[in-house]
Parts: sequence; C-alpha cells; structure tokens
Amino acid sequence: MIKASLRGLLQRKLRLSLAVFAIVLSVAFLAGSLVLSDTLNARFTALFSTINQNVSVVVAAKDPQAVEPARLTDAQLRALSEVDGVKAVSPDVSAQGVIPFRATDGEPVSADAALGFGVDGNDDPLGLVELREGRWPTAEGEVTITAHTAELAKVKRGEQLKVYLPVLNEPRSFTVVGVAGYSGGRDSLAGEVVVMFQQAFAQQTFYGGTGLYGGASFAAEDGVSDDTLKQRIVEKLPAGFKALTGQESSEEQSAQVGVLFDVFKYILIGFAVVAGVVGIFLIFNTFNIIVAQRTRELALLRALGAGWGQVAGSVLLEALIVSLVGATVGLAAGIGVAAAGEAAITSQVELPAAGLVIAPLTVILAYLLGVVVTLIAAFVPAVRASSVPPVAAMRDVVRPDKSLTALSIVGAVFALPGIGLVLLGAFADLGGTAFLVLLGGAVLVFIGALLLSPLLARPIVRGLGALIGRGSAGNLGVRNAARNPRRTAVTAAAIIIGVTVIGMTATVVQSFKTSLEDIMGDNIGVEVMIQANVTAAPDGRQGFNPKALDQVRAIPGVKEAAAWHFDALGVSVAGQPQAFGIFATDVGQASRMFPFDATDGQIRTLAAQELVLDDNIAETLKLKAGDRTPVVIGGVTRDYTVVGVYQATPIIQGILVGEAAVADFPGPLAFQGFVSLNDGVDAAPVVEKIETIMKDYPGVQVGDRQSYVDQATASYDFLLIAVQILLLVALVIALLGILNTLVLSIVERTRELGLVRAVGLSRSGLVWMVTVESVLITVFGVFLGLALGVGLGAAFTKALMTLEFATVIAIPWLELGQYLLAAVVAGVLAAVIPARMAARLNVLDAISYE
Amino acid sequence: MTSPVIDTPAAGAGAAARAADLWKVYGSGEAQVIALRGVSVELERGRFTAIMGPSGSGKSTLMHCMAGLDSATRGQLAIGDTALNGLGDAGLTRLRREKVGFIFQQFNLLPTLTAEENILLPLAIAGRKPDPQWFKTVIETVGLGDRLHHRPNQLSGGQQQRVACARALVSQPEVIFADEPTGNLDSRSGAEILSFLRRSVTEHGQTIVMVTHDANAASYADRVIFLADGQIVDELREPTADAVLDRIKRLDVVSSPTGGPDGPPGQRTAEDSPAATATGASE
Ligand SMILES: Nc1ncnc2c1ncn2[C@@H]1O[C@H](COP(=O)(O)OP(=O)(O)O)[C@@H](O)[C@H]1O
Ligand SMILES: [Mg+2]
Repeated sequence: MIKASLRGLLQRKLRLSLAVFAIVLSVAFLAGSLVLSDTLNARFTALFSTINQNVSVVVAAKDPQAVEPARLTDAQLRALSEVDGVKAVSPDVSAQGVIPFRATDGEPVSADAALGFGVDGNDDPLGLVELREGRWPTAEGEVTITAHTAELAKVKRGEQLKVYLPVLNEPRSFTVVGVAGYSGGRDSLAGEVVVMFQQAFAQQTFYGGTGLYGGASFAAEDGVSDDTLKQRIVEKLPAGFKALTGQESSEEQSAQVGVLFDVFKYILIGFAVVAGVVGIFLIFNTFNIIVAQRTRELALLRALGAGWGQVAGSVLLEALIVSLVGATVGLAAGIGVAAAGEAAITSQVELPAAGLVIAPLTVILAYLLGVVVTLIAAFVPAVRASSVPPVAAMRDVVRPDKSLTALSIVGAVFALPGIGLVLLGAFADLGGTAFLVLLGGAVLVFIGALLLSPLLARPIVRGLGALIGRGSAGNLGVRNAARNPRRTAVTAAAIIIGVTVIGMTATVVQSFKTSLEDIMGDNIGVEVMIQANVTAAPDGRQGFNPKALDQVRAIPGVKEAAAWHFDALGVSVAGQPQAFGIFATDVGQASRMFPFDATDGQIRTLAAQELVLDDNIAETLKLKAGDRTPVVIGGVTRDYTVVGVYQATPIIQGILVGEAAVADFPGPLAFQGFVSLNDGVDAAPVVEKIETIMKDYPGVQVGDRQSYVDQATASYDFLLIAVQILLLVALVIALLGILNTLVLSIVERTRELGLVRAVGLSRSGLVWMVTVESVLITVFGVFLGLALGVGLGAAFTKALMTLEFATVIAIPWLELGQYLLAAVVAGVLAAVIPARMAARLNVLDAISYE
Repeated sequence: MTSPVIDTPAAGAGAAARAADLWKVYGSGEAQVIALRGVSVELERGRFTAIMGPSGSGKSTLMHCMAGLDSATRGQLAIGDTALNGLGDAGLTRLRREKVGFIFQQFNLLPTLTAEENILLPLAIAGRKPDPQWFKTVIETVGLGDRLHHRPNQLSGGQQQRVACARALVSQPEVIFADEPTGNLDSRSGAEILSFLRRSVTEHGQTIVMVTHDANAASYADRVIFLADGQIVDELREPTADAVLDRIKRLDVVSSPTGGPDGPPGQRTAEDSPAATATGASE
C-alpha cells in the first residue's frame, strides 16, 4: 500500500509541484521572518556587548521618559564610586535629538539616532570612545564629534558646526575641536550621530543645572564579579534609579532596538499567513482533482482488498511527503530571504557582524507549518478517496456532484447573522463598540460568503461569460468554468480573500480622504500649514518654538498665525484618562480658521483654567458649559471651567485649552501651526518664507492646504500600499492556484480537447477556450471580493460617520477598476501555460488517451 | 493492389478520399513498427465502405491518416480535391471543419453540452448556421426528438452514439470516418446505428468509411476492404455477412504460414502474430 502510494507520487510529481510550491512560499516567509529577527537580535546583542564590554554595572533612571526623570547629584555619584570594588566610573550626561546641520547646505543631518554627551575633558575611563585627532571640549562653544558624524555633517576639525539643542529648542554654533572614534577603529556603532560637549554646558543645557547626571557606568576591580558589584551598588542606590549588570543592560538595550525591526518580522509573518491560507486552497484543489482522476485506480485497490482507511491513509501519506519536501525547500528559501533582508538592513544601518542564526525553534515551526497546512488541506480529499466504491474499477460509476444545499445552508447560517451585525454596527449608534460588532459581523459574512461561493459560482460565471464568452470556443470556456462550481469557487477563494481585504481598505481610505478634502475645501480658513514630524507622540518636547510665529505674522499678506500644542501622556479630564489628549491654542483665533459650531456656551479665546470640548466627549464626560472639572496635565491637577461645547467634525474634535496651559505641558514646543492669508494673496511665496523661518527646527514641514490633506492621508496611503503588497502575494499564489487547476483540468479533459479539435476547433480556438475559463475564474473571485470588500468598507465608513470621522462614503471606482483589470491580466497570464499545453496536444493522442 | 474500378454513378464526380502508396512507420530501430505498407485506395463518393482486418492490421491507422488526424510517413493523401500532404495544422483544422465528420468508438460527446449542442458543435465551431430542414431530417433519422436537451450522462450508450452520428451528419461533410462505432454497444443498439448510417448513404448520398471487425456490421456497407499486416489483401462488393465471414476464413488460411503476401516475417512484431491465426476472425 505504501509502495503503491510512493510510486503514484513520483508519477504525479508534476501535478503536485505547485502544491509543493505553495508550501515552499508559506514556509519561506515564516522561516525568513524568524531567522531574520534572530539574526538581527544577535547583531544587536553583539553591538551592545561591545558598548558594555568594560562595563560591570549600569545605573540609570527607572523611567527615562518621565517629564522630570530622576538625576544623580555630584554627591550621590561620588558615594556610588566609593563602593568597594569599583575600579572606574563613567558618568552619563546625555540627550537625544541633538541634531547637527550639514556645513554644506544647512540641512539637518538625518540619522536614526542623534545623541549629545557631556564629557569631562579626560579620556573615556571605560575605553569605549577614543580620541583620534584634536582634543576633548573644554569650553562652552566647543564640541568633539565622532568620525561618522564629521563625515555626515561634512565638517573638519577647526570648522564651525551648527547643532540643534533639544531642551533649548534652538540651534547654536560650535567649534569642532576634536574627532573621536570607537575602540576597534569603528567610526560609529550603528550609524548614530554623536556630538560631545563640555560637561558643565551639557548638564546646564540638558538637565537644567550643573552637577547633575542621568546615570553612570561602573567597571569592577579584578576579582569582583559583576553581580557582586551590582549587589553592593543597589544598597547605596538613590530612589528612582535601577542598577543592571553590563550583560543585563546589553540585553535590555538590544530588545528595545530590536523592536524597531519587528515591522519586518510582522510583514513577513503576514505574508506567511496569507501564503498559508491561500496555499490550503491550492493544495486542497490539487488533491481533490488528483483523487478524482485516480478514481479507477483507487477502486482497483479497494477491489483488491484495501480498506478505506488504507486508501485515505495513502492520500495522507502522499500529502505528508509533499509537505516535508515543501517545508525543506521552504526552510532553505527562508534562510535565503533572511540573508537578503539582513543585507538590506545592514546596508542602511552599521552593525557588528554575526552569522545567520537558525534556531531549532525556527526549524520546528517551519516543518510544523508545512505539515499542518498540507494535512488540513488534504483531509477532505483523503476522505473522498476512501469513499470510492470498488465497483468503480469495473465501470464508470457516475459520482454525481454532491449537492451544494448543505454547504449553502451552513454558509447562510454564517452570512445572515453576519449581515445583521454589520448593519447594526453601521447604522445603530453604538459608539466605540460599533467596530467590534462590525468586525464580528464582517468575519461571519466573509466565512459565509466563502461557503456560499460555490452556489454563486454558476450564475455569476454564466452572467460574466455572456459578456466575454462569445463564439463557440468562448462558450465552451464559459461552460468549463461553470461545470464544477466547487472547483471554481475553491480556485477563486484566494482571490476572494485578497480582494475583499483590499476592497474594504480602499473604500475606507477613499471615504476618509474625500471627507477630508470636502471639509478642507469649504470650511476652513487656513492657507498654510506648519507640521512637525515627531518621532514620539507630540508633547511639546519636539516641534517648533511658537515664538517663531511672530516672524511669520510679520510676512506681508499673512492675516493670522496660530500655534497648536498637544499632550496625551497622563492627561485626564473629570477623572477620566484622555487617550486622544488635549490641545492648547488660541481658540478665538482657531474659531476663525476652522468650522466651530457652538452647541452650548461659547467658543472664544480662553483664559487660564478654561476649556472647550466637542459634543461627543461632553456627553461621555457628562459636562456642560459652566461646569467646573479637574484636569491633569503634565502631572499637575487644576480645576478648569467649561466655557463651551462644539459640534465635532472630522477636522476639529477633542478638548481644547488656552495657551496659558502650555506651561503645564512637558515642553513648550508647538507641533502644528496654521496660517491664514489676506484675500488674494498667493500661498506659494509665503510657504517659501515660512520654510526659511522654520529651517532651524529639524523635522518641521511647511505646505499649502493640499499638502496638508496629502500629509493627513499619507498614513492611510501607507496602509493601502501595505495591503496592496499583501494582495500581490495573495494574487501571485492565486495565479498559481488557477494555473494548477487548469493544468489538472486539462489533463482530466484530454479526450474532450481531442474531440473538439477533431470536429474542427483550431489551436487558437483552444487557447481562447482555456483563457476564457481562466479569466472567468479570476474575475468571479474579484467580483465577489469587491462586492464583499466595498460593502464591508461602506459599513465601516458609515460607523466612522456616526463618530464624525468621515462625512461621505466614497467608492474608489478607479482603483477597483484597476484591480479588476489586474485580475483579467492575471487570469490571462495564468492561462498561458495550460493553454499552450492544451494546444500542443496531438489530436490523435488525445482521442486515444486512456 | 490494383486501383479499384470506379464505375458507380454516385462516384462519378471522383473519389471522396484517396490514398496512394501510403506508408506509416511508428518508432525506429528495435521498436520500429510498420503499420501501413504502401496502401492505395479510393473511397467512392456516396458509398458506404467498411474496412476490416484483424487487430493490429492497421485499420485505425489507415483511417486516421486518410482523415488527416495522423501524418503519413510516405504517400499521397487527398479528401475530395484537397491534397493533405503539406497541410499545416491550420489547414487540417479547416479541412476537419469543412469536409470531415468523425464517429469514435467511445467518448464521443462533451459532457458540458446538451445533446443538441453536441450535435451542432462542429457548425458552431465553424461559425455556420445549421440548415433547419436538414437538422430536422437528421434528428428524425437518428430518432432523438425527445432527448435533445439531455446531457450525455443522462443518455444510454446507444443514445450517445446516435448523438455522435447526428453530429457527424449535420454538417454534411465530404466523408464521415467511423472507427468501430458499434464496438461498445449491444447488438440491438449497434444495429440501429448501422441502419442510420446505411440510410444516410442511400437516401442522402453521404460518404461513410467505417472500421469494424464485425462481419455483420460490414454487411451494411457497399464495399468491404480487407487489411492484413498493413496491406490491402482483398475486397468485396455488396457484401453479406456470410460472404464476409467466408472471406475472412480464406484470408487466414492464405496468410497463416508466411505472414502476408510480401512482408518478411522478421519485420513483424510479436504482437502482430495472432492476427495471422483464427483469432482474427473471431474478433
Ligand atoms: N502510436 C503508435 N505507436 C507505435 N505503434 C503504433 C501506434 N499506433 C498503432 N501502432 C501499431 O500499428 C499497428 C496498427 O495499429 P492499428 O492501426 O491501431 O490497428 P487496428 O486498428 O487494425 O487494430 C499495430 O501493430 C500497432 O501496435
Ligand atoms: Mg483500431
């Protein structure tokens, strides 16, 4: 029995090769993701081990992100250095966002990390940083920079360097007095930019006072272990600090940095999931068709005494071997993917070398994925194989297509309640829970639709076929596409899945964009926008100084200019945390620029401890004009008076306070600025002038109204592109699935093909017949997918409209048309090989084919 | 073989299909099989010709070559006034559309089409409209009236073969080739099929060539050609079943010891040898 199925496997290897390929793809993405992230982790661990190579213990603030992080005083540092067993101390005075400007063009240098340090004029006691030329900075106006920084900023020793200072929020000019590198001759550890200042200046600038340190690194005397020293230091540790061994610190730091690269990991895992799901359909179809083609052979085995279990087992054994082959090749391919990914990343980011890390877990998961996917897919075909009656060996037993009734009823059981939930989520005013209801409904509708797709296949394929299936060859193609609705539906399933997701995303994004454009076009009196690209949530520590707007107001033609501040961390109103944060601006000015509609009280410039909020939040917090309520900003609690409530719109919503409140924010910087112009003033020259004013603030962009819309929708476009790439992966595999089905069908229909050739169909007619079948299967999938996707997208948008995030449902016809076109092209492509196979059949061989 | 005398009125316009010195060799070297050795034959227009011979004697090969389904190794072939030699795939396709009809032993119909659609398939492929009068006549001849909208899997083997006959007849081809059309049918269904074929020749002047190894089937024809070992060894006009059987027996005796008139025995495959024994007659 086993021998028989092994021999059969070899004979069918061509037919199985695409099934193997589906497994290869899925496993490759998974293995690639795991190997890549393990490898990068190894490299980061190597990086931080280098940094900490001479470090025994690190002392650092427990919460470095706090508004006022803990600092070590001179006395505390001295007490720690006197701990028994400390050989050397390297105190830490540092800040992020210390950005040098290029000497050549005055643009800020772009780097993943830009750090500033305060140094005491002596060599690094831990030996990590080494002076290469010149000296350490000893005066306020001096800096020493790393060789990598010098290269990026295009400066040499003795030249001037403009550097943006984060806490001061302005750039200053310094003289470069030295260039440093790292031990081992490295110019940078990981491509970072480093500027070293005189220590007292750095302390004053970064920490607001001399004699303060952010932490310190300690080296142990010989014979004292890192853990022992850590124990001793912990005993003397001031409040708000933690101590880690060098090893622990390396692990913590590499884990933090590794997170940045997790996006690659998740993208690859996303591909693996898509490929796996789509692969299940492909493998299912392959085995199903093979079982159908082997009916006689299986019946013969049964007639010769094989039990049904043995027959089913032989199919599953075949599947198992296919999956092992696929997983093995996939694992190898995945290691290749990881190597390529690593090369791509390390070409951008300098990292110490470490070989590819292939963890045992990766290998186990790769095989597990391959085997599980294949066995799930082959289960139903195996059961079907086992139910071939022995008598089928003797004569053609007509095995009528199982009725679709049961399947369709199950489909309806999923779809109908799903539709109900979707409608409920879209139309009932459920607030935030609407999305959960919608999501649940969408999943049910989706499963239901997949189960119903065989039932829909015939009518839809015939309807579409009436459009393209002209002529007898086309007509035969239409009938072939409609003759086995299960096969057609399963083949199209991959496309249905992919297109539903993309159709939904595209509809929501389009609706959102159109809504935004609508509102921006009509109701807003803003012609120029200033926007800070911040790396974290804006909280006043990144952005631009609102004082710069005085210069903007002085530009001829400018009517008004308003600065907007924002903070979210730890903000609460009426005892409730506000995840969407709080804005500070001149509300009177804002009301002349944006569409504020007071529903209660008034909207005007606010004094200290006054606020306005939108109707949705007012309802949630049960606040009305005249109420007093506690507001926490930057850890400070004050009682505020509600001055007014306004109608939320997609462009203006949230809690607003006056500019006086900025004093409580973590930083004084504005993250947005809005500028209105006098009638008839051209925006372009004003934008240029404001750009010059904002030049000193790295990451601040200036643009006209359209550029604001573009920017606001950019993140959605990014989402759309991500989904489109995912769709592409799904589409490629779907294409293989169609190719697979067609090839198998052609083998199955060899004699029919011979017959139509014998009665006069030309080669090109045959090619057209196969192409029509292929395009119909593809378009059927796209059609169903788009209907589902647009429907669900519209429902989600409707719910967004209830929450004032959008004003219209907009269907992206152009994009949908493109997807349809892409599907037709894919269908034609998928037909190329099968059609050539069919056309190449010798008529005579085809007729006498057994 | 001398060329047959063409003296019938129906054949006056020339032969419907012709082969001259036709050779067909399969494979090469050790595995070489000579299926046809210089066959020359003319199939008269408006006549029903049967080709008989033991299994492996080259009947199907002869028919496939004459119908343009297979290429000749050597020799001249023509259907009507169209020479087949040198026709490419496109030319052969046109020929099949316009001049040739086929009936196979089994698997004759497309499962996705109804009986009527199957019948009209060659016309649909050629983009021609059926002549309604002729279509009606054909349907009546094969007696399918109430089954036209059934699919092949809802029809019996005999009914399926009747649909295949109707399909071959409906385009009124120059010649219909039938390879053992009754080989898979019970004797009653077989007799029905043979009578349609006979009637379409007698009443409508259709030219039909049929391969068979059944003497009774051959007796429906106007002329029987006997093949043995890739050569025409005999022929019989206005045959009866008895006359055919008789001829087969005589041929067996003649060909038995030498294995054919001029073929050296060494060139024959082992598979062929039963053809020279009594099994040829009982097939
Ligand atoms: N495709 C082929 N390849 C090799 N030999 C073939 C092929 N087709 C037929 N033959 C051989 O040619 C001879 C004649 O075959 P065929 O015309 O099918 O005989 P018949 O129809 O009279 O039984 C046989 O010996 C057969 O084995
Ligand atoms: Mg034969």
